[in-house]
Amino acid sequence: MLNANKNTNSSSTIVITHFLTSAIIFFLITVLLSLSSQAFIGHYFQPKILAITHLTTLGWVTLIIFGALYQLIPVIAGKELYSVKFSLITFICFVTGTLLLAFSFWYFIVGFLLQLAAILLFVGASLFVINIFLTIQKSMNDNIETDFILSAVYWLWLTVFIGMLLAFNLTHAFLPKDHLHYLKIHAHVGILGWLLLLIIGVSSKLIPMFLLSGKLDTKKMSFAYYFLHAGLVGFLVDSFFFNGISRVLIYLLLVIIGIAFYIAYLVQAYKKRVRKKLDIGLKHSFISFIFIAIPLTLIVLLNSNIIQDPKLSLQISIAFGFSVFFGFITLLILGQTFKTLPFIAWHKKYEKFSGKIKTPLPKDLYSEKLAYWQLIVFTIGYMTTITGILLSKVFIIQAGSCILVCAAIIYNINVFKVVLHKPQALNIK
Amino acid sequence: MDLYSENDKQVIKIYNSLKQVIDPELDVNIIDLGLVYSVKFNEETGIVITMTLSSKGCPMGDIIMKNMEDVLTEDFPESKNTIDLVWEPKWTSDFISPKGKKELGR
Repeated sequence: MLNANKNTNSSSTIVITHFLTSAIIFFLITVLLSLSSQAFIGHYFQPKILAITHLTTLGWVTLIIFGALYQLIPVIAGKELYSVKFSLITFICFVTGTLLLAFSFWYFIVGFLLQLAAILLFVGASLFVINIFLTIQKSMNDNIETDFILSAVYWLWLTVFIGMLLAFNLTHAFLPKDHLHYLKIHAHVGILGWLLLLIIGVSSKLIPMFLLSGKLDTKKMSFAYYFLHAGLVGFLVDSFFFNGISRVLIYLLLVIIGIAFYIAYLVQAYKKRVRKKLDIGLKHSFISFIFIAIPLTLIVLLNSNIIQDPKLSLQISIAFGFSVFFGFITLLILGQTFKTLPFIAWHKKYEKFSGKIKTPLPKDLYSEKLAYWQLIVFTIGYMTTITGILLSKVFIIQAGSCILVCAAIIYNINVFKVVLHKPQALNIK
Repeated sequence: MDLYSENDKQVIKIYNSLKQVIDPELDVNIIDLGLVYSVKFNEETGIVITMTLSSKGCPMGDIIMKNMEDVLTEDFPESKNTIDLVWEPKWTSDFISPKGKKELGR
């Protein structure tokens, strides 16, 4: 493990680059959101929403997850990352591909540019999958967290592959069913298979570690794994070969049971914790776990035929996506950034000042006060925006998204504070 | 009459010295966290420490161990030191001292 940590440290520059880039993209997303509030009323399949959604999923969420995984995988697996060079190529492909894709969607240029973006993303995702697979394969550690992460990585590949097919289908229309049918599959596999499984896998390792929770019953995590996969695979097979979207409630129920097991595991970790006082990073995380209830309620409403008004149904669809990416995932990331980035930066900057030399702690590298404001401002912005979406009121969405811009600025200031921290400026005895 | 042998006194000194090493995430020293299972000393083998980490995935493991080596080298320059990292018995929160628990906010 000692060797793994030393080697992980050598790739910290690439990890920090991922965090910085995604922070800037997050700011860009909130600005675009505030400029396109009108687009959040009506059908979700429209240029600006497609651009913002892909910028969020790929440029913000996936990119920061990649960075975190390059740091975490070697720790979990007990082996060094297979290839830092692969991670650099993946980064270049992903950033270029995402920006091109967002640009193409924003102006709805569906030809060569969009296809080139899709190919770049596919190459990047494929290299990422190979890198993670070869790293984990080298490991002797067989645990449920690794199963979650490895499965999520495969689902990412499938999501990007379907996305690439969709990019070509927009101009060549070769897929047998209509475009929106595959778009739904693409979105569900991405949200559940890639993002949810990955978040569950990573957080089930990190949260108990941060809380000092001691011995936990990992059977709950195994149940979560199988229920989530039963729901996802069932949905996918049924959608591809039959008309499974009409039976989506069954698969949704399986997924909800899976999430319930995961939440039960987190509650157990919380109850058994030695560290009673939650720091600001963990406060973000626990609020985001509570916020999972919002998209779950919305998707049950959408699929249970309670809502008869098609206009309201569309608004709920958009609110569902927004609540997944902002209410749950973004809030979780905003908190976890300050549980991971300061450690990576601290490790890089202070490794040589060890022993008796008095150094600041990782938590001293960022402003806790700013992180508190970030939590407050972000939560207000999120709640305002989602209210505007559900009520179809542009001015409320605009107000909410402007508040989210403020949250993104606060976040960026803190991220840059960590990255630009200079050890020589401190009073090292 | 002196209750402690010279070796015992040295072991006590080593324990006190290791209290300078803190877990950067928890801001509690490794002795109060119960990470050090045993400290042995004699002229031939030098200092032999058996320790663990709070979890196998502890990302600060290498920094903690490096800090231990640095502290021991500085405080006991004449003795060679060996740090054995073990995973059995598995560390649990029961190993944290009352002082450590207080510092963690329990």
